[in-house]
Amino acid sequence: MTVRLVDRVGRPLLGCVVFAAAVGIWEAVARSEGSFLLPTASAVAERAWHVWPTPEFLSNVEASLRRLAAGYAIGAWIGVAVGVAMGSSRWMRQALEPLVELLRATPAIALVPALIVILGAGDRMRITVIAFGVVFPVLVNSMDGVRAISPELHETASLLRMGRAERILRIDLPAALPSIFAGLRIAVSIGLVMVVISELVGGGDGLGHYLLVEQSEYDIPEMYAGILFLGLLGLALNGVFVLVERRALSWHRGTTGHGER
Amino acid sequence: MASAKATRSGEARPRTAAPVVRVESLGKRYVTDGPPALCDVTFDVHEGEFVGVVGPSGSGKTTLLRVLSGLIRPSEGSVLLDGRLVLGPPADVALVFQDYNRSLFPWLTVIRNVMFPLRRTRVSRGARVAQAEAVLHDLGLRGVARKYPWQLSGGMAQRVAIARALVSQPRLLLLDEPFASVDALTREELQDVVLRVHGSLGERRMTVVHVTHDIDEAVYLGDRVLILSSAPGRVLGSIEVDVARPREQTASRSSARFLAVRNEIHEIIRRPQ
Repeated sequence: MTVRLVDRVGRPLLGCVVFAAAVGIWEAVARSEGSFLLPTASAVAERAWHVWPTPEFLSNVEASLRRLAAGYAIGAWIGVAVGVAMGSSRWMRQALEPLVELLRATPAIALVPALIVILGAGDRMRITVIAFGVVFPVLVNSMDGVRAISPELHETASLLRMGRAERILRIDLPAALPSIFAGLRIAVSIGLVMVVISELVGGGDGLGHYLLVEQSEYDIPEMYAGILFLGLLGLALNGVFVLVERRALSWHRGTTGHGER
Repeated sequence: MASAKATRSGEARPRTAAPVVRVESLGKRYVTDGPPALCDVTFDVHEGEFVGVVGPSGSGKTTLLRVLSGLIRPSEGSVLLDGRLVLGPPADVALVFQDYNRSLFPWLTVIRNVMFPLRRTRVSRGARVAQAEAVLHDLGLRGVARKYPWQLSGGMAQRVAIARALVSQPRLLLLDEPFASVDALTREELQDVVLRVHGSLGERRMTVVHVTHDIDEAVYLGDRVLILSSAPGRVLGSIEVDVARPREQTASRSSARFLAVRNEIHEIIRRPQ
């Protein structure tokens, strides 16, 4: 009973204590330094409280989210489609594997200068970079998910006289869904990274651009408020994803807390 | 099963001498010029017959079943189902795998798993649900229709796999070591479930080919036991099991006929080839 109580209350409490301590250390160090380049935690919180609701800040948030949504959607669709195709057909896998391996090893950030030359420094470049960052974790997880399907499941599909299309739709996709979701969730945080990076160049708007402007104007607390917002945004997006996953994969024992497969 | 069966009673076939399955000089090599898994296997299975297939591991029992189901093509010889050459999985053949964990659809509830083979039939969804529920009931599965496979014990899950195989009333049921993944008591329960389902269909008894490494099990369930040699698998013998039906775990297994048949099979397997 006491052990359970310690587990249920103690562990979250421990997390809160460590979190508060980290903020406290930041506050103490910043106060003792007294430099405007290192604002205190309380100053950042205070600026955040005022800056976040402003129309200017919110329009930057909206611009970033719009790009994330577009790039993520494109990357995720391509990733699932190509990944499932590669997972279910040896021929496709042999044809595409070398190309995919090379592209996957290329840092998406390294494409930015090239894409600026090709597409200009606008949204097309940004959405392409985001999609490029998103596509590979989704693709690889989708492919692995399909490849891990037991031969018995595919034999069952054959015995039920399913064609290739029906098998992919009714067997491969649902069977690989836990793995596909894992890829989609990793891709959300990678997508957010790509949003910020792509907005650090070429001007315009978005949270990345906002950080750059505040930094160049020495509005350091505002800059930290922007960084803090990005952190919370990442946390929120991940949380939404966990919820969706829990609903969509309620059949999967890994997501329902009854032990992993 | 009876309620579900009635829907097809109109097309009941008269009992004829023609075998349901005819296997003719069947051979299988997985690799061209590689070692054969099966060699010159010939046998018939008649309507309503329950045939056990036993043999040491590596005798090609599972290969034989996979050829019968149309999952793989023979290298030599042929398989005929009702006189038609089997070139791919026929519509009216069902197979139960050893490992229910790998063959049930984990993303579907029990009832949807069992309904799945009916997806192309032209009956209403309600009728399909009723048909699936009838089979679940016949297999002693109550109150699990809305559960997912992983929420069931091994024995229950294998019953679901058997229900899925039975729901479309197959002409031929193939069982590949179906009781090997469960504990001994559950195994006996499942054996009796299969016996009951097979026996409850009267004149239109299902035709069953049952692969097992357990000779006692083959004798307990079967009308006949086919004995395969070690690799490459050849037919060493075919023994009629004249143990009275209905069978019962303790009485049948301790009967003189049972012991005579199982000893005969043991002798054939041990005989130097």
